[in-house]
Amino acid sequence: MPDTINVEIPAALRPQVNDQEAVAVEGATVGDLLNTMKADYPEFGAKLFNDAGELNRFVNIYVNDEDIRFLDNLDTAVTSADQVAVVPAIAGG
Amino acid sequence: MPGLDRYHRQMLLPGFGEEGQKKLLGSSALIVGCGALGTVIANMLARAGVGHLIIVDRDFIEMTNLQRQVLFDESDVANAIPKAQAAKNKIAGINSDVTVTAVVEDVNHTNMEKLALGGYSQGQWAGKPVDVIVDGVDNFETRYLANDCAVKHGVPYVYGGAVGTVGASYAVLPHTEKGDAAWEAGEASGATPCLRCIFEQAPPPGLNPTCDTAGVIGPAVSIVSNYQVAETLKILTGNLDRVSPTMLNLDLWGNTFRQFKVAKAYDVGDCRCCKHREFEFLDGKFGSSTTTLCGRNAVQITNKEAAGGKLDFTEIGQRLEAHGTVKVNKFMLRADITDNGEPYELTLFTDGRAIVKGTKHANVAKGVYAKYVGA
Repeated sequence: MPDTINVEIPAALRPQVNDQEAVAVEGATVGDLLNTMKADYPEFGAKLFNDAGELNRFVNIYVNDEDIRFLDNLDTAVTSADQVAVVPAIAGG
Repeated sequence: MPGLDRYHRQMLLPGFGEEGQKKLLGSSALIVGCGALGTVIANMLARAGVGHLIIVDRDFIEMTNLQRQVLFDESDVANAIPKAQAAKNKIAGINSDVTVTAVVEDVNHTNMEKLALGGYSQGQWAGKPVDVIVDGVDNFETRYLANDCAVKHGVPYVYGGAVGTVGASYAVLPHTEKGDAAWEAGEASGATPCLRCIFEQAPPPGLNPTCDTAGVIGPAVSIVSNYQVAETLKILTGNLDRVSPTMLNLDLWGNTFRQFKVAKAYDVGDCRCCKHREFEFLDGKFGSSTTTLCGRNAVQITNKEAAGGKLDFTEIGQRLEAHGTVKVNKFMLRADITDNGEPYELTLFTDGRAIVKGTKHANVAKGVYAKYVGA
């Protein structure tokens, strides 16, 4: 039974997940979490992934404040002890 | 050299001292954009005694700016003073040690390097490249332009962004062509990834809320911009080993302060900008261009970059409804917007092209687009 993990959602993408600040998802890897979220919230998935199914390059995923690109990308293993955050580029000023 | 007494309190800091203060007074900083972030940055850098500030902004001051843009007041709105000039006027009364070059222009690939290399500066500062570029802009296109320029010319660049209750900041000590910058000396280079190493692409227009559609509170921009000021002071006083290697992300409503570790982004990534030294934004390959549409009192904005996704008309439409009538079909979105008392008709097409009717001026059109659609 995989752990349930709270994935932090940035303010810009909360309308796509019914205005939740974090979404509880089951999964053993970051890819599991995001794929489940993509299925549960298709509009969120459309913002996160491009047509080829890759993560858009204006969004980073951090596990315990480390970018998953420097870990094992979508294969990065996670447990309920880990902090997972979706972080887009912030434009205003 | 002016007297240093007024800087006594900051000179008390370890690693600062009289030497650090003299470095500040001999330094030049380019502040790109003088809105919420830029006014705080200009204000604090002027008070700290940075000898020369180049302040560039294309816009005028509106009443709705005063809630957070700390250098401006009601008389600036009444007198229709451009932001860069109003900032210069205020700073003249704050610190007469500081020279301000005010530039009322849109920043784009034709003038970015001229700004950074001292092409607008006068007197002793003429032709002197800036020592740091500080980001006070409201769109990603200009940020990547500043980032390109910083990497190309080996100038530190301090990113900041804020909207709503969230913000982010990060200082780039760029990898240079020859590897001989002050921060690259020593066994382990202190160069840090550039902004494109971290976010390779800009969010597509309309994905992110803007301050004009989603709102913003003063503290979000104040905290981010003062963090940028702290990083800038470290850079200008030569305290390079103190520059944070992390990217700050904060949410004042969510009560989160994070320091994301980004140091590996240069090694792991394959950055067009700082690894391959291809300056796509400076070269004008990416970004938008504008065309004044003859006899129509309108400006067309074309995005050369196919940003990371198509425009979401439904979402943009919902946001713009608060500002005026919106019509949407599958080809275009049209909105009537009143900005600073002036009516505009904004038409967006699915390919990211936009027509702003109600002005012949590219600056005004780009301003309306950045505020209500975002980039």
